[in-house]
Amino acid sequence: MMKHAARLFGLLFTVLCCANLAACTPVAAWERGNLARPEMAIVSDPLEGALDAHVYFSKEASSGGNSTAGGGCGCN
Amino acid sequence: MPLRPRKLLCLLPLLLGFCAASTQAVENGETAPAFTLPPLRSDDGNADISLADFRGKVVYVDFWASWCPPCLVSIPLLNELRNRLVEAGEPFEVLAINVDSDPELGIEFLLDEPVQYLALRDPAGTTPALYQVPGMPTSYLVDARGQVRLVHTGFKRSDIDKIELEVTKLLDEIE
Repeated sequence: MMKHAARLFGLLFTVLCCANLAACTPVAAWERGNLARPEMAIVSDPLEGALDAHVYFSKEASSGGNSTAGGGCGCN
Repeated sequence: MPLRPRKLLCLLPLLLGFCAASTQAVENGETAPAFTLPPLRSDDGNADISLADFRGKVVYVDFWASWCPPCLVSIPLLNELRNRLVEAGEPFEVLAINVDSDPELGIEFLLDEPVQYLALRDPAGTTPALYQVPGMPTSYLVDARGQVRLVHTGFKRSDIDKIELEVTKLLDEIE
């Protein structure tokens, strides 16, 4: 009986988790005005960001994949 | 016979399907979704402007915002192309839909960079949602019959040549 209840609870939990995935929708391209603001950039100074990235890929022998240019508006 | 939990799990992809966005982006060959929007600037009058008003012309529908650097690169180039074609008597128009949540930002930009084509406002984002705009800027070249013939996402200076070529092709179809 307890085993059955635990299974049912597990199933219900999974279904609820999946239903909540609907909340993970991406920000639409035309709604990124605030994300595109300079203060939203991870590194606010583009030159400093480029230098950091250069040092990083020189040391780690890898580049890219850390962030996008331009503060996340996705328009570059 | 009741469904076993394992069988119920098989229904999860279906549930996820419902969670996903149901609308699809407008693509080449589809009819351009209709819209009616107010002008961005008071100079363009108060009357709402519809895409249907331009049936019979080639229309370049451009979604832009003041916060999008490539959009700002495209504006003077599009204006130059539009003016050149219109002055030559070609049935061509640009409808630039501003999607700034505060339209004043778009108006402010156009004060510094005046354009002769029609700029419309859609701060609620209804039209880009209708077209499912994939990125900023995105433009839709609509032929004289209202069909989308080119979807162009992003913008760099050299893109204007490709756009002009496509516009010319569609203008040739009319003649």
